[in-house]
Amino acid sequence: MIKIINNKKIILLAGLTAILLLIPVFITKPYFLHVIVMCLLWAYLASSWNIVGGFAGQLSLGHGIYTAVGAYATVMLFNTLGLSPWLGMLIGGSLAVLLSLIIGFPTFGLRGAYYALATVAISEGVIVLLNSVSNLGKFQVGGAEGLIVKTVGNSFGAIQFVSKVPYYYIMLIALGLAILVAKLVKESRLGYYLVALREDEEAAAALGVNVRNNKLIAGAISAFMTAIGGVFYAMLIRYLEPNAIAGAAAMSTQMVFMTIVGGAGTVLGPVIGGILLSIVSEVIRFYLGGQLMGLHLFVYGLIVMVMIIYQPAGIIAWYDKFKEHRLRKIGNKGGASGAENSSGA
Amino acid sequence: MSVVANGLSMGAIYGLIALGLTLIFGIMRIINFAHGALLMLAMMISYWLWAATGLSPYILIIIVGPIMFIFGYVCELFLIKPVLDAQKEVREPVAVLLLTAALAIVLENGALMLFGADYVMAHTSFSKATLALGSVTVSASRFYGLIIALVAAGAFYLFLQRTQIGRNIRATGQDRNAASLMGINVPKTFAVAFGVGTALLCVAAVVLIPFYYVHPSVGAVFMTKAFIVVVLGGLGSVPGALLGGIIIGLIESIAAQYMAATLTAMLVYLVFLLVLFVKPTGMFGSPYEW
Repeated sequence: MIKIINNKKIILLAGLTAILLLIPVFITKPYFLHVIVMCLLWAYLASSWNIVGGFAGQLSLGHGIYTAVGAYATVMLFNTLGLSPWLGMLIGGSLAVLLSLIIGFPTFGLRGAYYALATVAISEGVIVLLNSVSNLGKFQVGGAEGLIVKTVGNSFGAIQFVSKVPYYYIMLIALGLAILVAKLVKESRLGYYLVALREDEEAAAALGVNVRNNKLIAGAISAFMTAIGGVFYAMLIRYLEPNAIAGAAAMSTQMVFMTIVGGAGTVLGPVIGGILLSIVSEVIRFYLGGQLMGLHLFVYGLIVMVMIIYQPAGIIAWYDKFKEHRLRKIGNKGGASGAENSSGA
Repeated sequence: MSVVANGLSMGAIYGLIALGLTLIFGIMRIINFAHGALLMLAMMISYWLWAATGLSPYILIIIVGPIMFIFGYVCELFLIKPVLDAQKEVREPVAVLLLTAALAIVLENGALMLFGADYVMAHTSFSKATLALGSVTVSASRFYGLIIALVAAGAFYLFLQRTQIGRNIRATGQDRNAASLMGINVPKTFAVAFGVGTALLCVAAVVLIPFYYVHPSVGAVFMTKAFIVVVLGGLGSVPGALLGGIIIGLIESIAAQYMAATLTAMLVYLVFLLVLFVKPTGMFGSPYEW
């Protein structure tokens, strides 16, 4: 039985991979492809947030600072020194890790709310800083006008392409890696520690789990991944504006919304939430954006509210319920011989 | 000296806003992300009532207060309670927090749709007036604001300490299970606490509109300050919120004399970071007591 399920799973996975790989062949309109790439990017960012927000249950409401650090460091190094963003993202990622440790160290020893409030306040501070600094030595920062990425035409080294297709494949791979990291974290010792300290911090500490260190590790992994997401954002949009890359409404809260709506603390929940909510927001923007000011965000907020009220555990909870239901059906079938007709729906 | 007076009045208003935040957190363990948007709503309502009636904004407290209380009460009952109930066994009700963040988006953009992105201010007869207190000259609207904010904070403190509802609220905040066993209706107390926290915003709103511009995203500015204030004062602490607010207000107004506006803002965040490192539970220590 188990073997059959596994075979089925492999076929399903292969089919899904084939479809994903072929999407750019069938969808050729740049606009649609751009929307799809953004969906993948959001799914990636939500997955990154989920490591600290979902698995460890530490509510970061300022992950925009990590996207900003990754993006700004990379673009500044690229614009001024011509350093490849592939290398820049490692530097940006490391800076984000450092920042996450600075924020996490004083707050992770305390109750969750302090960390949440600290992330909000610090990210607001970073936005003020980004808006007011126009250059650091010879590095242009741009201040409130924003920072334009120097364009060089098609170049893999600079992660710049005229077509959207390469971005699609890069984001697809990045998302695949993010899912892999999430799965690895979840199934590792660290993952079990995180779940333990999320569910009951005192009990976990009493059992010998180093609460603060594990939170710091989760925070650092999450910050690194988020910073790399910021770099992809920068190379895709090619313009950094402080409120868009670091802002609460545009960036930080979005990651959280997507994860919660999809299902926090699960491997696939943030992916589902990220894709779904970015499609929803794009569709509403497309149809309602040009009309009354604020209408599309109003509708977006309402949809998120309804989703949270209706299913606070996230969309993934429905799938779990469905799976449980099916397993029970299989169990019934195996248990009683010839019960196929009686078990029904 | 007038700088100090300005700082005091702005700080008292920050403190007043933070009071509602700290109350809701202290009782329900929810960081209310709609707090800023609710303040904006209260300011909008106050402004339009003022524009329609021409009454002194301060008198409008008796109209706006109940409106905001009912709004908060209803929000808690129909939006927050269902999610809280569904997440009962979850230790940190993250979904609730996100719900308030979504509510903030809805309120802000709703206001944008209804009123547009214009900046409005209630130009009252005393908006530009000044008062001479001995050798110190202060703006009249700010001075009245300071007095009213302090009176409101005092009244709120008495309400918590001396009335039965206040005792219920405090008991629920200390231990909701024990409170429930003592016969307190916890769900109702939650709704009342949320309503009171929201109603407190009306005081901040009416004292702000004579000298502060109202626009749909005005709440964000005050909410971040309120967050800083509650951490500074100690989450859940009433005197901490007021004192924290005044400290932030003073830092802002005094620093503004010596440096650029953006640097002043940075200084506030720096102070916040420093507090976080030195004494993360804030001035009034333990977050689990009142």
